[in-house]
Amino acid sequence: MTTTPRIEADAVRHVEAGPPPMSPRKQPKQSLIKSESVSAGIKAVVGLVALFALWELVVFIFKFPKYLLVGPVSAFEELFTNPGYFALNALTTLQEGLAGFALGTALGVLCGALLYYASFLRPFLYPALIAIDTIPKVALAPLFIVWFGFGFESKAFVAMAIAFFPLVINTFDGLNSVPHELQDLARINRASKLKKMMKIDFIYALPSIFTGAKISISLAVGGAVVGEFIAGSKGLGYVILLANAQVDLPSMFAAFIVLAAIALLLFFIIDLVSKKLLPWKNYTK
Amino acid sequence: MTADYAISVNNVGKTYTSRDGQENVVLKDLDFHVNPGEFVSIVGQSGSGKTTLLNTISGLQDATEGEILIRGREISEALKDIGMVFQSPVLLPWRNNLDNVLLPLEFRDSVTPESKEHAMELLHMVGLGEKATRYSYELSGGMQQRVAICRALVSRPEILLMDEPFGALDAMTRDSMNFEIQRIWRRTGCSVLFVTHSISEAVWLGDRVVVVGDRPGRIIADVKIDIERPRAKEHKFSEDFAHYVAEIESHIGVTAGIS
Repeated sequence: MTTTPRIEADAVRHVEAGPPPMSPRKQPKQSLIKSESVSAGIKAVVGLVALFALWELVVFIFKFPKYLLVGPVSAFEELFTNPGYFALNALTTLQEGLAGFALGTALGVLCGALLYYASFLRPFLYPALIAIDTIPKVALAPLFIVWFGFGFESKAFVAMAIAFFPLVINTFDGLNSVPHELQDLARINRASKLKKMMKIDFIYALPSIFTGAKISISLAVGGAVVGEFIAGSKGLGYVILLANAQVDLPSMFAAFIVLAAIALLLFFIIDLVSKKLLPWKNYTK
Repeated sequence: MTADYAISVNNVGKTYTSRDGQENVVLKDLDFHVNPGEFVSIVGQSGSGKTTLLNTISGLQDATEGEILIRGREISEALKDIGMVFQSPVLLPWRNNLDNVLLPLEFRDSVTPESKEHAMELLHMVGLGEKATRYSYELSGGMQQRVAICRALVSRPEILLMDEPFGALDAMTRDSMNFEIQRIWRRTGCSVLFVTHSISEAVWLGDRVVVVGDRPGRIIADVKIDIERPRAKEHKFSEDFAHYVAEIESHIGVTAGIS
């Protein structure tokens, strides 16, 4: 592409000229983004390794007894002696968390959209939602067990209850940030409400919705674990409880590590999807 | 004979009533007309209700008094004759320039191969034909605003409303955009209502300059600009030009209590 350098030169020259939020900023080339993310990945790994080293060092220096604190070495040792056990339980928690996240996201986006579009309902709906949010979701877990039993569903619903709220807020905020000029443009051209939603509002709100999803995904996994604490016969929450009863700290810490790995993985998947789906955000940020 | 006017603003007033019953008169007794194919600039200080005036003409807001006719018809029936350019280009970053230009037609379900061709012609007209498949973040502020102008023109409106379209651009880009808009206007032959802060911009572009005073917004002068077309940069240094700018400045200065 021979025109690319000129476009960039123009964009840089007029950097102050364009009004926000879509003004052309510095435009990182594709290769730059990639090398940046590679070096960011390396830094992340270095950080993690340093954390594990520090942890091991603390355990080694202060000679913590095995029933109080174990280092990452024994945790990983435990993890690799029983990989099937952890994998199977992790899968359970993952499924519950994902089901809850999917449900919470769908419901959250729906509620956020309702809050935005049904402005006459907002004064009624908003305080009610805030009131619901003030209830610690953990406290709802026993209720969900009464309602949905001891199995998969009750944990998924705890996860859903936790994942729900960030999406409501972020969906609403995203829709609410659509520039009024775009609203005017739609009105001047007699756009139907549905057309405006699909062609402007929801795409405009997507970055904000993804931000909500990133917050919700780790919350959802945590919700599933809480559900398993209260009534579980499998899952990482159950593994932790069992290890607790047997004062088996290596197993407990192994479960922590797996939990963190799951949350991290899911977070990065969402991040990746958002970058693929919203390529313009890489430029306008 | 109101049908002969492109836009006819008849004794229009706009009053906002706040919750505690206080009335805020934004526009009062506005009465003016725009002839077909005419370029009318509107100047006034910020807060003088220029944007409100434009919004009532575009039908985005209702006037509380008087009536506005677009080619002799009520606004509600005339929306399709209006194209609008805002202060910021607000292009959709996920659409390329051509698709941004086509957006108004998509809203109306009237995208055809011919309309696509027309959109491409418009982009070529503003010198961005090569960049039809590019995205707004690859363009400078001036280029983005040119795409926004194409978007306003894609439905072949007979009336183009521009609300301080170059206010966010730097001085040099602004000058070149003034040439551009003169050229576009002469080629499309539409009537333009052009709101601006800049008196020299208003004079250079306009067949007439309508001066709006503030609190409440009302017309304090309607100055016919007798400078030949097409206008060149040199006209900005002519005696006539300076005379018009001084006249309009005096109108604005008096109401603001400056002079």
